[in-house]
Amino acid sequence: MEMQSEPKRARTAIERLAVVGLLIVFTTLVGALRAEAQDDGAKLFETRCYSCHNIGGGDKQGPDLKGVTERQSREWIEEFVKSPTAMSRKDPVAAELFKKFSPTIMPDQTLTPAELDSIITLIKNLTSKNETFVPSGAKLSRAIVPADIIAGKELFTGQIHLANGAPSCNSCHSVNGVGALGGGTLGPDLTAANIKYRDPELISILQSPNFPTMNTIFTNHKLTDEEVVQLFAYLQNAKQVYPEASVVPTQAAATTDPRFLVLGFGAATLVLIGLNVFWRKRSHGVRKEMVRRSKI
Amino acid sequence: MDVRLQVSMVFHLDKCIGCHTCSIACKNVWTDRKGAEYMWWNNVETKPGTGYPTKWEDQSKYNGGWEKKDNGKPELKMGNRASRLINIFHNPSLPKMDDYYEPFTYKYEDLFDSPEGADQPTARPISMVTGKFMDIEAGPNWDDDLGGSPVYAENDANFEGLSPEEQQELFDVERLVFFYLPRICNHCLNPACVAACPSGAIYKRGEDGIVLINQEVCRGWRMCVSACPYKKTYYNWSTGKSEKCILCFPRLETGQAPACFHSCVGRIRYLGGILYDADRLTDALNVDDDKLVDAHRDLILDPRDPVVREKAKENGIDERTLEACERSPVYRYVKEWKMALPLHSEFRTLPMLFYVPPLLPVMAKTENGVYETANDELFSPIEKARLPIKYLASLFSAGNTDQVSYALKKQYAVRLFKRLETVGDVSEEVVNYALAECGMDAEEAEAVYRLTSLPTMDERVVIPPMHREEAMAMLDDDMWEQKGSAGFGFREAPVRGA
Repeated sequence: MEMQSEPKRARTAIERLAVVGLLIVFTTLVGALRAEAQDDGAKLFETRCYSCHNIGGGDKQGPDLKGVTERQSREWIEEFVKSPTAMSRKDPVAAELFKKFSPTIMPDQTLTPAELDSIITLIKNLTSKNETFVPSGAKLSRAIVPADIIAGKELFTGQIHLANGAPSCNSCHSVNGVGALGGGTLGPDLTAANIKYRDPELISILQSPNFPTMNTIFTNHKLTDEEVVQLFAYLQNAKQVYPEASVVPTQAAATTDPRFLVLGFGAATLVLIGLNVFWRKRSHGVRKEMVRRSKI
Repeated sequence: MDVRLQVSMVFHLDKCIGCHTCSIACKNVWTDRKGAEYMWWNNVETKPGTGYPTKWEDQSKYNGGWEKKDNGKPELKMGNRASRLINIFHNPSLPKMDDYYEPFTYKYEDLFDSPEGADQPTARPISMVTGKFMDIEAGPNWDDDLGGSPVYAENDANFEGLSPEEQQELFDVERLVFFYLPRICNHCLNPACVAACPSGAIYKRGEDGIVLINQEVCRGWRMCVSACPYKKTYYNWSTGKSEKCILCFPRLETGQAPACFHSCVGRIRYLGGILYDADRLTDALNVDDDKLVDAHRDLILDPRDPVVREKAKENGIDERTLEACERSPVYRYVKEWKMALPLHSEFRTLPMLFYVPPLLPVMAKTENGVYETANDELFSPIEKARLPIKYLASLFSAGNTDQVSYALKKQYAVRLFKRLETVGDVSEEVVNYALAECGMDAEEAEAVYRLTSLPTMDERVVIPPMHREEAMAMLDDDMWEQKGSAGFGFREAPVRGA
């Protein structure tokens, strides 16, 4: 009982100072972390979202994301990002969005909850401040010179290998003027890429393509700054040379060149002639020929 | 000296009547099966003619046999190992089915099942491969007896060395001539089929030299079909394996003559053991074409020579086998009398089937429009033979006319010799001259006569005792161990429930 009755010892000034100091350190740390999270968010947004979305800059391929956090719950956003197509089937809002931005379909994203959080923080932050997202990295490392167009074409067709070992563009894409054989048809024709996307968006895509197919390939084989400049120059030029190109992706664009057909026939004929030469000593039967050549 | 035994053969063409009984006997025993309908392990050809498959002798088309090389290692004409490997999926030198013939039967049921009509029903030919109606264009002996045919006789590959005049003479109506050439697998000493097989499925039996295709190893590459210059391996399109004459080894092992030998109406076929020196095989392959027959003959050893017998026994050849070799009619015809010659020795496979060239019939002529068979001399001398010696030499001695002449002269001398003895209307001087010309005495002439005209079955076919038990002992397998574990069943032990 004696102990209970002992009077409380008062905090000393030094103790108060320490507590205040600790609080200051803590808040600073949290603030720094939050700032960092926002930085992360900006970087993530730029690489993963900016090619199609804006914050405050108006609609692009996809809607402006300003204020999305106020319109929708976090759960809704998370579910939508994970699989937009699945969401569009059950949620009227999502379905409406899909209708509005048709035929563009947002690909499924693989974002961790932490990454999603940092992006949401960024959107909230910019919305509250009523600011517009300004990409930091989507800039060319140097000005374009005419030689870049030629170099860009060579990179596109694979005559020059991409430095980090990525496959050349024409394995999957075609572009007008790439040659009679055309390019691949897995990805869309890129002749109109420069109209579909604004310059910073296109640069952003080149720097880190965020489409499911390309993502897996280019994450570990990024284009170098120099390659981005040259390919950008080439795609920009392609649009100027072929202004009639459609923005709507045309999968069959690579085969519309009539020279392709002629080339195909020519090659087939050559192969057949080659086989005949290569196997000219092959026996073609003896008796029939003998009877045919005999005098009666 | 490495003494080996070969079961070897002689066909006496002067006795062949071209009846095809041998072919039918063989067909009935061995190739009356699906996929084997077109095969004739034994076939009889008319010469001059193109044979079966068409123009088989023309290696510019079929690339069979061996080619002599300067480095002393003969190479298969179809190419070296590398080029054979490159062509393994696309063998360019195969005969087509049409070169053999498309096997056919007739739709006999139509004769019975047809509805009543104004015309007699016919049995249309149907292919035994596709089962569909077909037009018969060729057969395995399509040119049978077509001696002067401008299609078949004129395309005989052996006419190459003959001048156009010599060729033309063969087709003059009054001179027209042909003979028969029965063919089976030659069971060569240097078989090209064995060398060409990529699967190692073909082997020459150590104990008797019979060349066989192991049906369990064969993968149907058909390299043997190209490589064999005689085209005596055949691809079975049903089983996907190649097959060939097995010299009726199951019959030989039980002391019976092969089916074609057994059934031969003209009794032209001789079979017997021959001892040869395997050490000198390559020497016999590296001589020029005109020396090939002599080199081939040199490989054959005298079974009475004590040294040979000693070496033969070292190689596991039984005493009773050696005794059979002493009685071998093949040894007499080939080695002692030099009357039997290998077919197309220029293919360099060292074929072990020998032919006594045909001494063709009496020469006829037309004078004043009269067809005259009588001759100044009873038998026309071989110089006046209807078939040029060159032609026979192209078939039987790689172009060396001396060999063929000698074999024909010997037959000629024996005929005169027996004529003098039995009828006596030939002068003794002529007979003695003929005998002397081929270095023959009366005793030998009598022996040739007896073995040619009066041989019994046992004299024609002297099968060396097969001694399967000794052949088994030659295998590396420990047969006693097999005996204990397998009980019976040579290759696989019986298993309960299997």
